[in-house]
Amino acid sequence: MYDLQTNLTLDEKLEILADAAKYDVACTSSGVDRAGKEGMLGNSRACGVCHSFAADGRCISLLKILMTNHCTYDCKYCKNRKSNDVPRATFTPDEICQLTVEFYKRNYIEGLFLSSGILQNPDYTMEKICEALRLLRTKYKFNGYIHVKAIPGASQELLYSAGLLADRISINMELPTQESLGKLAPNKTMTNIIKPMNQISSTIANHRLAIGKNARMERAGINDHLVNSIFGKAAMNGQDMIFGENYAEIESSTGGLEELKRDNSKLYLPAERMDLNLKRPFAPAGQSTQMIIGASGESDFDLIRTTQSLYQSFDLKRVFFSGYIPLNEDSNLPALDTPVPLLREHRLYQADWLLRFYGFHAEELLSEEKPNFDNRIDPKCDWALRHLDIFPVEINKASYDTLLRVPGIGPTSVKRIMSARRYGKITFPMLKKMGVVLKRAQYFITCNGQMLYKIPIEERFILNQLTDMERANTIKIEGSNQTATQMNLFTDFGLQTSVG
Amino acid sequence: MTIYSCEHEWEAMLTCIYEAWTSRKGQQNIRLVLEPIEQYTLFDEYIHVDADHEKAVKVMDAINQKISPFFYREIAFCSIAYEPYILDNIFRVLLLGFAYGEQALNMVQYEAVMDNRKIRKRLGMEVEHFKEFIRFHEVAGRYVAHIEPKSKLILTLGHAFMDRMPSEHWMIVDDVHMEAIIHPMNQDYYYRKLNEEELEQLLHTEEANDEYTDMWKTFFDAIAIEQRANYRCQRNLFPIWTRKHVVEFEHN
Ligand code: SF4
Repeated sequence: MYDLQTNLTLDEKLEILADAAKYDVACTSSGVDRAGKEGMLGNSRACGVCHSFAADGRCISLLKILMTNHCTYDCKYCKNRKSNDVPRATFTPDEICQLTVEFYKRNYIEGLFLSSGILQNPDYTMEKICEALRLLRTKYKFNGYIHVKAIPGASQELLYSAGLLADRISINMELPTQESLGKLAPNKTMTNIIKPMNQISSTIANHRLAIGKNARMERAGINDHLVNSIFGKAAMNGQDMIFGENYAEIESSTGGLEELKRDNSKLYLPAERMDLNLKRPFAPAGQSTQMIIGASGESDFDLIRTTQSLYQSFDLKRVFFSGYIPLNEDSNLPALDTPVPLLREHRLYQADWLLRFYGFHAEELLSEEKPNFDNRIDPKCDWALRHLDIFPVEINKASYDTLLRVPGIGPTSVKRIMSARRYGKITFPMLKKMGVVLKRAQYFITCNGQMLYKIPIEERFILNQLTDMERANTIKIEGSNQTATQMNLFTDFGLQTSVG
Repeated sequence: MTIYSCEHEWEAMLTCIYEAWTSRKGQQNIRLVLEPIEQYTLFDEYIHVDADHEKAVKVMDAINQKISPFFYREIAFCSIAYEPYILDNIFRVLLLGFAYGEQALNMVQYEAVMDNRKIRKRLGMEVEHFKEFIRFHEVAGRYVAHIEPKSKLILTLGHAFMDRMPSEHWMIVDDVHMEAIIHPMNQDYYYRKLNEEELEQLLHTEEANDEYTDMWKTFFDAIAIEQRANYRCQRNLFPIWTRKHVVEFEHN
């Protein structure tokens, strides 16, 4: 496992190791506010800062690289798997540091996202990663953002060190069931993923308690106004801080619940005592994970339910979805010419927002009977159409929860509506100025008893209007108008295939 | 209609507000505009106002004491916006502030407040844009960035970059408004107006060969996923006209 091509330049290594890292979707630098310090380089802003947009339209915030793309594992879906013949490279810790600080000083990035293939074994890899981060925080005096990938199977002590050196730590779940993992990532097990995830959660919680914070991560302020939020007390059954108990989905797929409970809240010492002396909080920006969409057979309902339990059980800060991109030929995988499921990924992100900012629960959005999202229409409109009996709602009276359920109204406009209501009656022109998308919302609201136009509250009619509007979006995401146009012609006007 | 006009500079703007206010002509009968005035109208009376420190301070104190320091900061921030009607807007919002206090800023039922929010939001985004997309070039251990903003916003960037790089020598140059902020290592930053000659000299800093700029381009190209290419989305998020000085979009 050493570099065969030892004479690669730094630029060549960067090309290989950025290319190899690009399939990881997380690139945010958010979750922690930290002021700059004289003598150090860098700070951090909780809202996250984006520094560029790549040709695929994704934001670039961090220097996202692998430490090495050598790997002893053979995950079927991965370009870096052992059985692939691709150019390989490994950064030295100093090279990683130089790139980070030099890019940082030019305002190209907010920090570093460091992941890696498995070099020899998980412990050795994690140790090397920690070494690079330690150097960056000490010798290079870097005070900016670091997101580190925890290698499944690495020892607790090393994970502890990683959390002390980084701001966010993540373990990719990749596939939400043991069955899919067994098929597509034979060297990984669900327990090896869930166990460290749980340990990291409880370590974060303990660190937060020690400095007088609430054990659980902060969530968007709007959740405080929502009776129904997945982060609310009711949803957590009052078990505010017991990780690994509120399982639902994950439990069944791991089977290791008993062991997890025993493990709970155990704190190991970091691998390197010195890391404690840095007096950094443990992963202050929390923990995240990522799941691949469309490589295995899970439904949207499976994915979104798993997402919800990850938020509730492990207090993850974010769950990311990554539409599967076929890179390898394998009978267990979709064919090489399968298009990336961009629209499906988009719908899942919309649903994730509904969980995090709108007070929805996975079970309200989908069910065993209807396990996948509708391509034509976003999950919130879909929900509204299935609940026409509660509409229209009166803008001047409705509660936070109810207003947020109206298509075309988001958390920001709800806050504006609530604050403006204190000074007088709200009218349609005011709503428009507050950022409400009336084109969508008009079917579901009244202002002072009046609807904007005389519109029948009838599912089919509204669905047609809304799909019409959504089509442009869908086309943008899919990059082709083929399916959307056809679907609309047939469902809306009952046209026969032979026409046109 | 009486039209008061002044230069786009805070003290002059406050003086202009003072004159308009004390004229007792009634707010429907006056308008405040920034110079240069694009088109004069035939039947209006034009009054040019020069900055007057004492009058400006009177307005400043009145806002801080009778409304609130927060209110003052809000409108002072808006004053750098490039929108030509910003002065008139500030005047109208100020009248509401004196009538209703700080909460006037939330009274969206007033046109002026809504307009003000729009400007504020746009300006906030412009400032944010530069915090994110300024590119520094290394020249002999010093870091220099050039920007070409629409609004005169250079002072809003100082604090952010001082916090980010307190122990580096850096400088940001606004090529359009010919001004700069300069930050010597471990010290406060300061503001400088630039003359033609200085600007001319500084313009060459982007030509210096910087190997990390080349590596950044390598990274930028490698990190995009071909199967997800979406140039339209990239253009929406990062419009082409804003890409000047952003090195990863420069192809030589
Ligand atoms: S562990 Fe699996 S996913 Fe990670 S680099 Fe190796 S083969 Fe790829």
